[in-house]
Amino acid sequence: MDIYDVLLRDFPFLLKGLGVALVLLALLLVMGFILGLAICMIQLYGPRSRFIQWPLIAYERVFRGIPIIIMLFIFYYGMSGLLDITSFGAAVLALGFRSSAYQSQIFHSAFQSVPAGQMMAARAVGMSRVKAIRHILFPQAARHAIGPWTNEFSSEIKETSLAYVIGVVELTRQAHYIITSTQGNVLTVFAVVALLYFIVNRAGNSALYAFEKKLAVPGFEK
Amino acid sequence: MKTTKSTHLSAVILASLAMGTGLASFAASAQETYTVGIESSFPPWAYVEGGEYKGIAIDAMEKIADEADIDIEFKDMPFPSLIPALAAEKIDMLATGLTVTEERSKAIDFTIPWWETNDVVVVPKDSDLNVFTAVCCGSKIGVQGGSSQQAWLEENIVNPGNIDIELARYDSYVTAVDDMAIGRIGAVIVDDTSAQEYIEAGKPVKIAGKIYIRAPLALAVSKGDPQEVLGKLNQGILAIYESGEWQDIVHNYIPNITIPTIPGNMPDYVDTYQKPIVGLPDLGNE
Repeated sequence: MDIYDVLLRDFPFLLKGLGVALVLLALLLVMGFILGLAICMIQLYGPRSRFIQWPLIAYERVFRGIPIIIMLFIFYYGMSGLLDITSFGAAVLALGFRSSAYQSQIFHSAFQSVPAGQMMAARAVGMSRVKAIRHILFPQAARHAIGPWTNEFSSEIKETSLAYVIGVVELTRQAHYIITSTQGNVLTVFAVVALLYFIVNRAGNSALYAFEKKLAVPGFEK
Repeated sequence: MKTTKSTHLSAVILASLAMGTGLASFAASAQETYTVGIESSFPPWAYVEGGEYKGIAIDAMEKIADEADIDIEFKDMPFPSLIPALAAEKIDMLATGLTVTEERSKAIDFTIPWWETNDVVVVPKDSDLNVFTAVCCGSKIGVQGGSSQQAWLEENIVNPGNIDIELARYDSYVTAVDDMAIGRIGAVIVDDTSAQEYIEAGKPVKIAGKIYIRAPLALAVSKGDPQEVLGKLNQGILAIYESGEWQDIVHNYIPNITIPTIPGNMPDYVDTYQKPIVGLPDLGNE
Protein backbone atom coordinates (compact mmCIF):
# COMPACT_ATOMS: atom_id res chain seq x y z
CA MET A 1 0.00 0.00 0.00
CA ASP A 2 1.72 3.24 -0.99
CA ILE A 3 1.42 6.45 0.96
CA TYR A 4 -1.27 7.94 -1.29
CA ASP A 5 -3.55 4.95 -0.72
CA VAL A 6 -2.94 5.24 3.02
CA LEU A 7 -3.71 8.96 2.92
CA LEU A 8 -6.89 8.30 0.99
CA ARG A 9 -7.95 5.57 3.41
CA ASP A 10 -7.10 7.65 6.49
CA PHE A 11 -8.39 10.97 5.17
CA PRO A 12 -11.60 10.75 7.25
CA PHE A 13 -9.40 10.55 10.38
CA LEU A 14 -7.47 13.63 9.32
CA LEU A 15 -10.83 15.39 8.91
CA LYS A 16 -11.87 14.16 12.34
CA GLY A 17 -8.65 15.64 13.73
CA LEU A 18 -9.40 18.87 11.91
CA GLY A 19 -12.88 18.84 13.50
CA VAL A 20 -11.33 18.57 16.98
CA ALA A 21 -8.99 21.46 16.12
CA LEU A 22 -11.91 23.59 14.92
CA VAL A 23 -14.03 22.97 18.04
CA LEU A 24 -11.00 23.83 20.17
CA LEU A 25 -10.45 26.97 18.09
CA ALA A 26 -14.08 28.08 18.38
CA LEU A 27 -14.16 27.60 22.16
CA LEU A 28 -10.85 29.33 22.80
CA LEU A 29 -11.75 32.29 20.61
CA VAL A 30 -15.15 32.74 22.29
CA MET A 31 -13.56 32.49 25.73
CA GLY A 32 -10.78 34.87 24.70
CA PHE A 33 -13.34 37.28 23.23
CA ILE A 34 -15.50 37.47 26.35
CA LEU A 35 -12.62 37.72 28.82
CA GLY A 36 -10.54 39.96 26.54
CA LEU A 37 -13.37 42.42 26.07
CA ALA A 38 -14.08 42.46 29.81
CA ILE A 39 -10.40 43.10 30.63
CA CYS A 40 -10.22 45.89 28.06
CA MET A 41 -13.39 47.53 29.42
CA ILE A 42 -12.10 47.50 32.99
CA GLN A 43 -8.68 48.76 31.90
CA LEU A 44 -10.16 51.66 29.94
CA TYR A 45 -13.34 52.58 31.79
CA GLY A 46 -13.22 50.68 35.11
CA PRO A 47 -12.10 51.98 38.51
CA ARG A 48 -8.55 53.38 38.44
CA SER A 49 -7.69 51.64 41.72
CA ARG A 50 -4.36 49.82 41.46
CA PHE A 51 -5.86 46.80 43.27
CA ILE A 52 -7.93 46.27 40.12
CA GLN A 53 -5.59 47.59 37.42
CA TRP A 54 -2.33 45.95 38.49
CA PRO A 55 -3.61 42.36 38.59
CA LEU A 56 -5.04 42.88 35.09
CA ILE A 57 -1.70 44.14 33.80
CA ALA A 58 0.06 41.22 35.48
CA TYR A 59 -2.42 38.75 33.98
CA GLU A 60 -2.00 40.14 30.49
CA ARG A 61 1.84 40.23 30.75
CA VAL A 62 2.06 36.67 32.10
CA PHE A 63 -0.24 35.11 29.53
CA ARG A 64 1.42 36.93 26.66
CA GLY A 65 4.91 36.20 27.95
CA ILE A 66 4.93 32.45 28.53
CA PRO A 67 5.23 29.92 25.68
CA ILE A 68 1.96 28.16 24.98
CA ILE A 69 3.46 24.69 25.35
CA ILE A 70 4.37 25.49 28.98
CA MET A 71 0.86 26.89 29.58
CA LEU A 72 -0.61 23.64 28.30
CA PHE A 73 1.51 21.61 30.74
CA ILE A 74 0.66 23.93 33.64
CA PHE A 75 -3.08 23.66 32.99
CA TYR A 76 -3.01 19.92 32.41
CA TYR A 77 -0.67 18.73 35.17
CA GLY A 78 -0.68 21.70 37.51
CA MET A 79 -4.45 21.87 37.96
CA SER A 80 -4.90 18.17 38.69
CA GLY A 81 -4.96 18.87 42.44
CA LEU A 82 -7.87 21.31 42.08
CA LEU A 83 -9.90 19.91 39.25
CA ASP A 84 -10.06 16.60 37.41
CA ILE A 85 -9.54 18.30 34.07
CA THR A 86 -9.43 16.51 30.72
CA SER A 87 -6.80 17.12 28.06
CA PHE A 88 -9.34 18.94 25.95
CA GLY A 89 -10.57 21.06 28.85
CA ALA A 90 -7.01 22.02 29.80
CA ALA A 91 -6.25 22.96 26.18
CA VAL A 92 -9.36 25.19 25.98
CA LEU A 93 -8.43 26.95 29.22
CA ALA A 94 -4.72 27.41 28.45
CA LEU A 95 -5.33 28.65 24.92
CA GLY A 96 -8.46 30.61 25.89
CA PHE A 97 -6.79 32.54 28.73
CA ARG A 98 -3.83 33.29 26.53
CA SER A 99 -6.06 34.44 23.70
CA SER A 100 -7.95 36.71 26.12
CA ALA A 101 -4.68 38.49 26.95
CA TYR A 102 -3.99 39.07 23.26
CA GLN A 103 -7.58 40.01 22.44
CA SER A 104 -7.72 42.49 25.34
CA GLN A 105 -4.85 44.35 23.66
CA ILE A 106 -6.58 44.26 20.27
CA PHE A 107 -9.75 45.77 21.78
CA HIS A 108 -7.68 48.20 23.83
CA SER A 109 -6.10 49.77 20.78
CA ALA A 110 -9.39 49.63 18.85
CA PHE A 111 -11.19 51.61 21.56
CA GLN A 112 -8.30 54.03 21.90
CA SER A 113 -8.39 54.72 18.16
CA VAL A 114 -11.82 56.33 18.63
CA PRO A 115 -11.15 60.04 19.27
CA ALA A 116 -11.44 60.87 22.98
CA GLY A 117 -13.70 63.83 22.24
CA GLN A 118 -16.53 61.49 21.28
CA MET A 119 -16.93 60.22 24.82
CA MET A 120 -16.96 63.79 26.11
CA ALA A 121 -19.51 64.82 23.47
CA ALA A 122 -21.76 61.87 24.31
CA ARG A 123 -21.58 62.69 28.01
CA ALA A 124 -22.29 66.35 27.20
CA VAL A 125 -25.57 65.47 25.45
CA GLY A 126 -26.59 63.51 28.53
CA MET A 127 -25.70 59.87 27.69
CA SER A 128 -24.49 57.69 30.55
CA ARG A 129 -20.98 56.18 30.24
CA VAL A 130 -22.42 52.73 29.55
CA LYS A 131 -24.74 54.10 26.87
CA ALA A 132 -21.90 56.08 25.30
CA ILE A 133 -19.67 53.00 25.17
CA ARG A 134 -22.44 50.82 23.77
CA HIS A 135 -23.83 53.19 21.12
CA ILE A 136 -20.95 55.49 20.23
CA LEU A 137 -17.60 53.83 20.98
CA PHE A 138 -18.29 50.12 20.49
CA PRO A 139 -19.64 50.30 16.90
CA GLN A 140 -16.55 52.22 15.80
CA ALA A 141 -14.04 50.20 17.83
CA ALA A 142 -15.51 46.90 16.55
CA ARG A 143 -14.78 47.98 12.98
CA HIS A 144 -11.19 48.81 13.88
CA ALA A 145 -10.73 45.53 15.74
CA ILE A 146 -11.58 43.17 12.87
CA GLY A 147 -8.31 43.71 11.00
CA PRO A 148 -5.99 42.87 13.92
CA TRP A 149 -8.42 40.15 14.99
CA THR A 150 -7.73 38.21 11.73
CA ASN A 151 -4.16 37.92 13.04
CA GLU A 152 -5.38 36.40 16.28
CA PHE A 153 -7.57 33.94 14.35
CA SER A 154 -4.67 32.92 12.10
CA SER A 155 -2.23 32.36 14.92
CA GLU A 156 -4.69 30.49 17.15
CA ILE A 157 -5.68 27.93 14.48
CA LYS A 158 -1.99 27.07 14.24
CA GLU A 159 -1.52 27.03 18.04
CA THR A 160 -4.17 24.31 18.34
CA SER A 161 -1.63 22.00 16.70
CA LEU A 162 0.35 22.05 19.96
CA ALA A 163 -2.50 20.61 22.03
CA TYR A 164 -1.36 17.10 21.14
CA VAL A 165 1.43 17.35 23.74
CA ILE A 166 -1.17 16.92 26.49
CA GLY A 167 -3.08 14.23 24.63
CA VAL A 168 -5.63 16.06 22.47
CA VAL A 169 -5.86 14.01 19.29
CA GLU A 170 -6.19 16.82 16.77
CA LEU A 171 -5.03 17.12 13.18
CA THR A 172 -1.26 17.09 13.81
CA ARG A 173 -1.50 14.02 16.03
CA GLN A 174 -3.57 12.18 13.41
CA ALA A 175 -0.78 13.01 10.96
CA HIS A 176 1.81 11.53 13.35
CA TYR A 177 -0.21 8.31 13.37
CA ILE A 178 0.04 8.01 9.60
CA ILE A 179 3.74 8.88 9.57
CA THR A 180 4.71 6.35 12.21
CA SER A 181 2.50 3.51 11.03
CA THR A 182 4.01 3.83 7.54
CA GLN A 183 7.56 4.40 8.91
CA GLY A 184 8.20 7.63 7.03
CA ASN A 185 6.60 9.95 4.45
CA VAL A 186 6.99 12.95 6.72
CA LEU A 187 6.91 15.50 3.91
CA THR A 188 3.94 14.04 2.03
CA VAL A 189 1.74 13.72 5.10
CA PHE A 190 2.61 17.12 6.53
CA ALA A 191 2.06 18.73 3.11
CA VAL A 192 -1.54 17.48 3.19
CA VAL A 193 -1.93 18.68 6.79
CA ALA A 194 -0.46 22.09 5.94
CA LEU A 195 -2.93 22.39 3.08
CA LEU A 196 -5.85 21.67 5.44
CA TYR A 197 -4.68 24.32 7.93
CA PHE A 198 -4.16 26.74 5.06
CA ILE A 199 -7.69 26.22 3.69
CA VAL A 200 -9.26 26.82 7.11
CA ASN A 201 -7.09 29.87 7.63
CA ARG A 202 -7.98 31.38 4.26
CA ALA A 203 -11.69 30.62 4.66
CA GLY A 204 -11.78 32.19 8.12
CA ASN A 205 -9.89 35.27 7.07
CA SER A 206 -12.00 35.74 3.95
CA ALA A 207 -15.14 35.58 6.07
CA LEU A 208 -13.71 38.14 8.49
CA TYR A 209 -12.69 40.51 5.69
CA ALA A 210 -16.16 40.16 4.15
CA PHE A 211 -17.65 41.01 7.56
CA GLU A 212 -15.35 44.03 7.81
CA LYS A 213 -16.49 45.20 4.39
CA LYS A 214 -20.13 44.71 5.28
CA LEU A 215 -19.79 46.79 8.45
CA ALA A 216 -17.85 49.55 6.72
CA VAL A 217 -19.75 52.84 6.53
CA PRO A 218 -19.32 54.24 3.01
CA GLY A 219 -17.45 57.52 3.00
CA PHE A 220 -16.64 57.33 6.72
CA GLU A 221 -12.99 57.19 7.84
CA LYS A 222 -11.64 56.77 4.33
CA MET B 1 -28.47 47.59 14.39
CA LYS B 2 -29.64 47.31 17.96
CA THR B 3 -31.34 43.96 17.37
CA THR B 4 -28.39 42.45 15.52
CA LYS B 5 -26.08 43.35 18.33
CA SER B 6 -28.21 41.79 21.02
CA THR B 7 -28.54 38.57 19.03
CA HIS B 8 -24.76 38.50 18.71
CA LEU B 9 -24.49 38.95 22.42
CA SER B 10 -26.95 36.16 23.27
CA ALA B 11 -25.14 33.83 20.85
CA VAL B 12 -21.92 34.53 22.70
CA ILE B 13 -23.57 33.85 26.05
CA LEU B 14 -25.08 30.61 24.76
CA ALA B 15 -21.71 29.51 23.44
CA SER B 16 -20.02 30.23 26.74
CA LEU B 17 -22.70 28.30 28.62
CA ALA B 18 -22.23 25.37 26.28
CA MET B 19 -18.51 25.58 26.89
CA GLY B 20 -18.98 25.60 30.65
CA THR B 21 -21.21 22.55 30.72
CA GLY B 22 -18.94 20.81 28.23
CA LEU B 23 -15.94 21.27 30.49
CA ALA B 24 -17.87 20.10 33.51
CA SER B 25 -19.08 16.90 31.90
CA PHE B 26 -15.60 16.19 30.55
CA ALA B 27 -14.25 16.59 34.03
CA ALA B 28 -16.59 14.02 35.57
CA SER B 29 -14.97 10.68 34.78
CA ALA B 30 -16.03 7.41 36.31
CA GLN B 31 -13.31 5.46 38.09
CA GLU B 32 -14.68 2.05 37.11
CA THR B 33 -12.81 2.35 33.82
CA TYR B 34 -9.04 2.55 34.03
CA THR B 35 -7.27 4.92 31.68
CA VAL B 36 -4.25 3.34 30.03
CA GLY B 37 -1.72 5.82 28.66
CA ILE B 38 -0.02 4.83 25.43
CA GLU B 39 2.33 6.45 22.93
CA SER B 40 0.70 5.43 19.69
CA SER B 41 3.42 6.55 17.35
CA PHE B 42 5.79 3.84 18.50
CA PRO B 43 5.43 0.68 16.41
CA PRO B 44 5.48 -2.23 17.03
CA TRP B 45 4.43 -1.49 20.63
CA ALA B 46 1.57 0.91 19.90
CA TYR B 47 0.47 2.71 16.74
CA VAL B 48 -2.65 3.74 14.83
CA GLU B 49 -3.62 2.23 11.52
CA GLY B 50 -6.90 3.05 9.79
CA GLY B 51 -8.11 4.86 12.89
CA GLU B 52 -7.57 1.92 15.25
CA TYR B 53 -5.02 1.35 17.97
CA LYS B 54 -2.74 -1.56 17.17
CA GLY B 55 0.47 -3.02 18.53
CA ILE B 56 1.87 -5.49 21.03
CA ALA B 57 1.13 -3.31 24.05
CA ILE B 58 -2.46 -2.65 22.92
CA ASP B 59 -3.37 -6.28 22.23
CA ALA B 60 -1.61 -7.56 25.35
CA MET B 61 -3.19 -4.90 27.56
CA GLU B 62 -6.66 -5.89 26.33
CA LYS B 63 -5.94 -9.53 27.15
CA ILE B 64 -4.58 -8.61 30.58
CA ALA B 65 -7.70 -6.50 31.26
CA ASP B 66 -9.89 -9.52 30.35
CA GLU B 67 -7.80 -11.68 32.64
CA ALA B 68 -8.02 -9.19 35.53
CA ASP B 69 -11.72 -8.45 34.82
CA ILE B 70 -11.26 -4.69 34.60
CA ASP B 71 -12.46 -2.15 32.02
CA ILE B 72 -9.87 -0.05 30.29
CA GLU B 73 -9.75 2.78 27.80
CA PHE B 74 -6.66 3.97 25.95
CA LYS B 75 -5.40 7.54 26.09
CA ASP B 76 -2.76 8.56 23.59
CA MET B 77 -0.02 11.05 24.44
CA PRO B 78 3.48 11.81 23.18
CA PHE B 79 6.07 9.78 25.09
CA PRO B 80 7.67 12.64 27.08
CA SER B 81 4.20 13.50 28.51
CA LEU B 82 3.33 9.97 29.62
CA ILE B 83 5.43 9.54 32.76
CA PRO B 84 4.47 13.02 34.10
CA ALA B 85 0.81 12.16 33.38
CA LEU B 86 1.14 8.91 35.33
CA ALA B 87 2.97 10.65 38.18
CA ALA B 88 0.17 13.28 38.31
CA GLU B 89 -2.44 10.46 38.17
CA LYS B 90 -3.99 11.83 34.98
CA ILE B 91 -3.80 8.26 33.69
CA ASP B 92 -4.00 5.07 35.75
CA MET B 93 -1.43 2.94 33.99
CA LEU B 94 1.08 3.06 31.20
CA ALA B 95 1.42 0.44 28.48
CA THR B 96 4.02 1.10 25.79
CA GLY B 97 7.59 0.07 25.03
CA LEU B 98 8.69 1.41 28.41
CA THR B 99 12.21 0.66 29.66
CA VAL B 100 12.69 0.13 33.39
CA THR B 101 15.28 2.57 34.77
CA GLU B 102 16.33 3.60 38.26
CA GLU B 103 15.23 7.25 37.81
CA ARG B 104 11.81 6.24 36.48
CA SER B 105 11.30 3.75 39.30
CA LYS B 106 11.44 6.68 41.75
CA ALA B 107 8.49 8.40 40.02
CA ILE B 108 6.30 5.44 39.05
CA ASP B 109 5.80 1.77 40.03
CA PHE B 110 6.72 -0.93 37.50
CA THR B 111 5.00 -4.26 36.91
CA ILE B 112 7.12 -7.37 36.39
CA PRO B 113 9.15 -7.06 33.16
CA TRP B 114 7.43 -8.40 30.05
CA TRP B 115 10.22 -7.80 27.56
CA GLU B 116 13.96 -7.45 27.44
CA THR B 117 16.18 -5.58 25.02
CA ASN B 118 19.90 -5.88 24.49
CA ASP B 119 22.24 -3.58 22.66
CA VAL B 120 23.93 -4.57 19.43
CA VAL B 121 26.96 -3.31 17.56
CA VAL B 122 25.86 -2.35 14.05
CA VAL B 123 28.47 -1.99 11.28
CA PRO B 124 28.25 -1.40 7.51
CA LYS B 125 27.19 -4.48 5.56
CA ASP B 126 30.55 -4.78 3.74
CA SER B 127 32.64 -4.24 6.88
CA ASP B 128 34.81 -7.02 8.29
CA LEU B 129 34.83 -5.61 11.82
CA ASN B 130 33.61 -7.91 14.57
CA VAL B 131 32.25 -7.10 18.01
CA PHE B 132 35.80 -6.77 19.44
CA THR B 133 37.50 -4.81 16.65
CA ALA B 134 34.51 -2.47 16.11
CA VAL B 135 34.63 -1.02 19.63
CA CYS B 136 38.34 -0.36 20.15
CA CYS B 137 41.51 1.00 18.72
CA GLY B 138 40.56 4.61 18.01
CA SER B 139 37.24 3.86 16.34
CA LYS B 140 34.40 6.33 16.31
CA ILE B 141 31.09 5.00 17.66
CA GLY B 142 27.68 6.58 17.00
CA VAL B 143 24.92 6.76 19.64
CA GLN B 144 21.78 8.77 20.20
CA GLY B 145 22.43 11.62 22.64
CA GLY B 146 20.86 11.00 26.04
CA SER B 147 20.15 7.35 25.29
CA SER B 148 20.80 4.45 27.63
CA GLN B 149 23.40 3.23 25.12
CA GLN B 150 25.40 6.43 25.51
CA ALA B 151 25.26 6.10 29.29
CA TRP B 152 26.37 2.47 29.12
CA LEU B 153 29.32 3.20 26.83
CA GLU B 154 30.49 6.13 28.94
CA GLU B 155 30.27 4.16 32.15
CA ASN B 156 31.88 0.97 30.89
CA ILE B 157 34.27 1.96 28.10
CA VAL B 158 34.97 5.69 27.81
CA ASN B 159 35.41 6.60 31.49
CA PRO B 160 37.65 3.64 32.50
CA GLY B 161 39.91 4.92 29.70
CA ASN B 162 41.72 1.69 28.85
CA ILE B 163 39.93 1.25 25.51
CA ASP B 164 40.48 4.02 22.98
CA ILE B 165 37.16 4.98 21.35
CA GLU B 166 35.47 8.24 20.50
CA LEU B 167 31.70 8.79 20.88
CA ALA B 168 29.67 10.65 18.26
CA ARG B 169 26.24 11.78 19.54
CA TYR B 170 23.30 12.20 17.17
CA ASP B 171 19.75 13.35 17.75
CA SER B 172 18.33 10.21 16.30
CA TYR B 173 19.58 6.76 15.47
CA VAL B 174 18.42 7.13 11.89
CA THR B 175 20.96 9.96 11.32
CA ALA B 176 23.67 7.94 13.07
CA VAL B 177 23.09 4.96 10.78
CA ASP B 178 23.06 7.19 7.69
CA ASP B 179 26.30 8.84 8.82
CA MET B 180 27.88 5.42 9.17
CA ALA B 181 26.88 4.63 5.58
CA ILE B 182 28.82 7.74 4.45
CA GLY B 183 31.83 6.52 6.44
CA ARG B 184 32.16 9.19 9.12
CA ILE B 185 31.82 6.68 11.93
CA GLY B 186 32.76 2.98 12.13
CA ALA B 187 29.91 1.53 14.18
CA VAL B 188 26.62 2.35 15.87
CA ILE B 189 25.42 0.90 19.17
CA VAL B 190 21.65 0.59 19.38
CA ASP B 191 19.02 -1.71 20.89
CA ASP B 192 18.38 -4.99 19.07
CA THR B 193 14.71 -4.35 18.20
CA SER B 194 15.58 -1.09 16.37
CA ALA B 195 18.59 -2.70 14.62
CA GLN B 196 16.31 -5.43 13.32
CA GLU B 197 14.02 -2.76 11.87
CA TYR B 198 16.89 -0.98 10.05
CA ILE B 199 17.93 -4.25 8.45
CA GLU B 200 14.36 -5.05 7.44
CA ALA B 201 13.94 -1.52 6.02
CA GLY B 202 16.86 -2.33 3.69
CA LYS B 203 19.57 -0.13 5.20
CA PRO B 204 23.09 -1.42 4.25
CA VAL B 205 24.02 -2.55 7.77
CA LYS B 206 24.58 -5.76 9.71
CA ILE B 207 24.86 -6.76 13.33
CA ALA B 208 28.46 -7.47 14.40
CA GLY B 209 27.60 -8.61 17.89
CA LYS B 210 25.46 -8.25 20.96
CA ILE B 211 26.06 -6.53 24.29
CA TYR B 212 24.04 -8.48 26.78
CA ILE B 213 22.66 -5.80 29.12
CA ARG B 214 19.16 -7.25 29.63
CA ALA B 215 17.26 -3.94 29.82
CA PRO B 216 13.76 -4.80 31.04
CA LEU B 217 10.55 -3.31 29.64
CA ALA B 218 7.40 -3.23 31.78
CA LEU B 219 4.01 -1.68 32.38
CA ALA B 220 3.71 0.94 35.09
CA VAL B 221 1.20 2.46 37.52
CA SER B 222 1.30 5.66 39.60
CA LYS B 223 3.74 5.63 42.53
CA GLY B 224 2.30 3.83 45.54
CA ASP B 225 -0.33 2.11 43.36
CA PRO B 226 -3.29 4.28 44.47
CA GLN B 227 -5.77 2.25 42.36
CA GLU B 228 -4.49 -1.05 43.84
CA VAL B 229 -4.22 -2.56 40.41
CA LEU B 230 -0.52 -3.50 40.26
CA GLY B 231 -1.17 -7.01 41.60
CA LYS B 232 -3.84 -7.66 38.96
CA LEU B 233 -1.50 -6.49 36.21
CA ASN B 234 1.36 -8.68 37.45
CA GLN B 235 -0.93 -11.72 37.55
CA GLY B 236 -2.36 -10.84 34.13
CA ILE B 237 1.07 -10.57 32.49
CA LEU B 238 2.13 -13.94 33.86
CA ALA B 239 -1.23 -15.51 32.91
CA ILE B 240 -1.12 -14.49 29.24
CA TYR B 241 2.53 -15.62 29.06
CA GLU B 242 1.70 -19.04 30.51
CA SER B 243 -1.37 -19.49 28.29
CA GLY B 244 0.64 -18.70 25.14
CA GLU B 245 -1.50 -15.68 24.18
CA TRP B 246 1.47 -13.34 24.70
CA GLN B 247 3.64 -15.35 22.29
CA ASP B 248 0.87 -15.21 19.64
CA ILE B 249 0.50 -11.45 20.01
CA VAL B 250 4.25 -10.78 19.77
CA HIS B 251 4.70 -13.08 16.76
CA ASN B 252 1.79 -11.36 15.06
CA TYR B 253 3.85 -8.15 15.04
CA ILE B 254 7.44 -9.44 14.96
CA PRO B 255 7.53 -12.90 13.35
CA ASN B 256 10.45 -15.18 14.25
CA ILE B 257 11.64 -13.20 17.25
CA THR B 258 12.88 -15.08 20.29
CA ILE B 259 10.58 -14.19 23.16
CA PRO B 260 12.23 -13.50 26.53
CA THR B 261 10.91 -15.45 29.50
CA ILE B 262 8.52 -13.74 31.92
CA PRO B 263 9.40 -12.62 34.53
CA GLY B 264 12.76 -11.58 33.13
CA ASN B 265 15.65 -9.74 34.70
CA MET B 266 14.37 -7.72 37.69
CA PRO B 267 16.95 -5.08 38.72
CA ASP B 268 17.53 -4.61 42.48
CA TYR B 269 16.99 -0.85 42.35
CA VAL B 270 13.27 -1.19 41.56
CA ASP B 271 11.36 -1.28 44.86
CA THR B 272 8.35 -3.12 43.43
CA TYR B 273 10.67 -6.04 42.57
CA GLN B 274 11.41 -6.72 46.24
CA LYS B 275 10.00 -9.99 47.47
CA PRO B 276 7.04 -10.41 47.86
CA ILE B 277 5.93 -8.89 44.55
CA VAL B 278 2.33 -7.61 44.67
CA GLY B 279 0.02 -10.30 43.28
CA LEU B 280 2.86 -12.79 42.86
CA PRO B 281 4.20 -13.33 46.40
CA ASP B 282 6.54 -16.19 45.43
CA LEU B 283 8.62 -13.95 43.19
CA GLY B 284 11.02 -11.10 43.82
CA ASN B 285 14.49 -10.14 44.89
CA GLU B 286 15.50 -11.13 48.42
